[in-house]
Amino acid sequence: MVASMATSVFFPVPSSSSVASAKAPKPINEGPERLGIRGIVAKPASQSGAMEVKAQAQAIPKVNGTKVGLKAEAQTVEDDAPSAPRTFYNQLPDWSFLFAAITTIFLAAEKQFTLIDWKPRRPDMLADAFGLGKMMQDGLDFRQNFSIRSYEIGADRTASIETLMNHLQETALNHARSAGLLVDGFGSTPEMTKKNLIWVVTKMQVLVERYPSWEDVVEVDTWVASSGKNGMRRDWHVHDHRTGQTVLRATSVWVMMNKLTRRLSKIPEEVRAEIEPYFVDRDPIIDEDSRKVQKLEDNTADFIKRGLNPRWGDLDINQHVNNVKYIGWILESAPISILESHELAGMTLEYRRECGRDSVLQSLTAVSNHGSDGSPEAGIECQHLLRLESGAEIMRGRTQWRPKRAQGLQNMGPLPAGNT
Amino acid sequence: MAEMLRFCAAAGLIRNSEAAVTAAECRGRGRWAAVRCSSRAIPGQEAASRLVAGVGAAGGAEGKGLAERLRLGSLVPDGLSYKESFVVRCYEVGINKTATVETIANLLQEVGCNHAQSVGFSTDGFATTPTMRKLRLIWVTSRMHIEIYKYPAWGDVVEIETWCQGEGRIGTRRDWILKDLATGEVIGRATSKWVMMNQDTRKLQRVSDEVREEYLVYCPRTPRLSFPEENNGSLKKIPKLADPAQYSRLGLVPRRADLDMNQHVNNVTYIGWVLESMPQEIIDTHELQTITLDYRRECQHDDAVDSLTSSEFAENGSTNGTATTKPHDQELQQFLHFLKSSGTGLEINRGRTEWRKLIR
Repeated sequence: MVASMATSVFFPVPSSSSVASAKAPKPINEGPERLGIRGIVAKPASQSGAMEVKAQAQAIPKVNGTKVGLKAEAQTVEDDAPSAPRTFYNQLPDWSFLFAAITTIFLAAEKQFTLIDWKPRRPDMLADAFGLGKMMQDGLDFRQNFSIRSYEIGADRTASIETLMNHLQETALNHARSAGLLVDGFGSTPEMTKKNLIWVVTKMQVLVERYPSWEDVVEVDTWVASSGKNGMRRDWHVHDHRTGQTVLRATSVWVMMNKLTRRLSKIPEEVRAEIEPYFVDRDPIIDEDSRKVQKLEDNTADFIKRGLNPRWGDLDINQHVNNVKYIGWILESAPISILESHELAGMTLEYRRECGRDSVLQSLTAVSNHGSDGSPEAGIECQHLLRLESGAEIMRGRTQWRPKRAQGLQNMGPLPAGNT
Repeated sequence: MAEMLRFCAAAGLIRNSEAAVTAAECRGRGRWAAVRCSSRAIPGQEAASRLVAGVGAAGGAEGKGLAERLRLGSLVPDGLSYKESFVVRCYEVGINKTATVETIANLLQEVGCNHAQSVGFSTDGFATTPTMRKLRLIWVTSRMHIEIYKYPAWGDVVEIETWCQGEGRIGTRRDWILKDLATGEVIGRATSKWVMMNQDTRKLQRVSDEVREEYLVYCPRTPRLSFPEENNGSLKKIPKLADPAQYSRLGLVPRRADLDMNQHVNNVTYIGWVLESMPQEIIDTHELQTITLDYRRECQHDDAVDSLTSSEFAENGSTNGTATTKPHDQELQQFLHFLKSSGTGLEINRGRTEWRKLIR
């Protein structure tokens, strides 16, 4: 799931930046961002000058396909007092070879220009040409577009919830990458790495308003904020690019864990100094669903599916199962009658444990209300549990369902938000 | 149109024009332009003009949606093949930090679909011609052969070219060539054979001349093969592996996500199943170079399958049912596979894989 950055690292290109933007470099405090995908938070070593990457993350080319000096120990970490603007140039190592390369490229490109009818185009289109996304003006929000591919469509011809969740995961990683934060695909900030700390997701809440279809383009915005004293929150807001309508909203909570002892950790002061300036001061995009998610047992579940196995393709580079797969598994035991007549409107998930290749899982579902009046317009709510055969809990969740909309009635009704 | 031109031109030029783009825009927000700016990536001219021309040829109506442009796919100038680029996403990457073979297979399927759509075949994902739809016929895969020489990593952009042509009287074939967009290097090739089947009766059918004419107009006139060499792997017969198999994984069931709109198991899922019984020691040390799969029967949503694997050449030099005794390349491990229904024992498909040692 998480790719190593060894093969695709992005670096600032001072010359092109300076050519491109004649203005003074922006202050750095919108720079490196965190992202949280199974505990991946990274801050690059700054020999590459990644700290100078302006939040709009321009021009970070890969030079000859090699990474330039990204090591975990960043000597400039302590200098990265992100609150103070720094000038661009007094942080630079010797870039002469890069300048030469850029100039050559630039000259070649100039030649190309005469072949094409060039008109200034909207930067976000270009940036999204290959769907890598870009940092927005304020340097805090990150945006990426996805075209829904044919194999991401579910049985009802709309993008599956797994597809949408995968997009969230991808934007979070690209957010960090564009901010120059990702080292090794896993990095924590340098201070976190020193202390063997990683971020892990504990809670995820999603509200889906409409499901996109094949070839729709979704636009995903994401940002991070603090969560309590020792956590981080990452929010997403997904729109239909064409209509501007909201597709879904999601919020997630991450805590710090020692990757060796597997114990939760407070955020150390040194790490706090690194990350705090990058948090957005914003309320969660979804009001917290603070209702307790009950733990299902064999006798309280209505449906149980056993013998679920991870396949090779489900594993990330640590041979752990990708978080998003869990969602598919908790839905495995949802009755087909609900899946056929209703669509998933919202879910609240609590992650407890991860699993690997040899795990055998069980998925339990209880349908907790059918709508008091039994009318077809009523929503349904289910409780879920995903556990190992041994009984150890992987995750638990609550899902809300609303009747499927007829084609074309896209604006039907507000979200039931758990009530009937 | 101009916008589309620019877009694709920029795509083709990306290696060269990163600086130029940002300069020209005077805003420096070309985030994507940051990709692959390498000082060796100068020779973009040809590719760029091809791509630009291709866009023009594809009938770039002004109103082409963002989806089209984001997809970066179009018919090439002569209209006989289709090219599209894809960026590898983080969740498509597996234990080796590179795209999984299922991801590759999904992309091949996607670009095949988009090709069919771009020439006006059905847009329901089935690539059926009008006559086929009238007669309730669909294409089904009978053989799939994929060779990957270099797996792309997260963030890499893969350009896939695909075309189709007739194959004898019974079927068609679709070929693909995969390239790393940044370097132009061929990173993989694939070919597949398809036959026609009645959707309702599930019986195979000959390709009538009527149908053939409908799609042949989009196929290269002279045969063009992604595997033109003699005796290439895509033609090899796959023997049934001997009983008992060396490795197995039993009782695999389709997940909801594996099912297509008609509750049939997606082709790509079979690839995952075939590989399920591969032993950990090979998975940890080797990388899949080649996979050939013969599809015999389909699987429904409530079927369970058993996946069996055996090494193709046994230790003592005896071949496992293979007719030829080709020398066993020390670096390549070869396996035979068999997927059968857990209940009936009937063959679902059989396969052959080759694995090369990973350099860690």
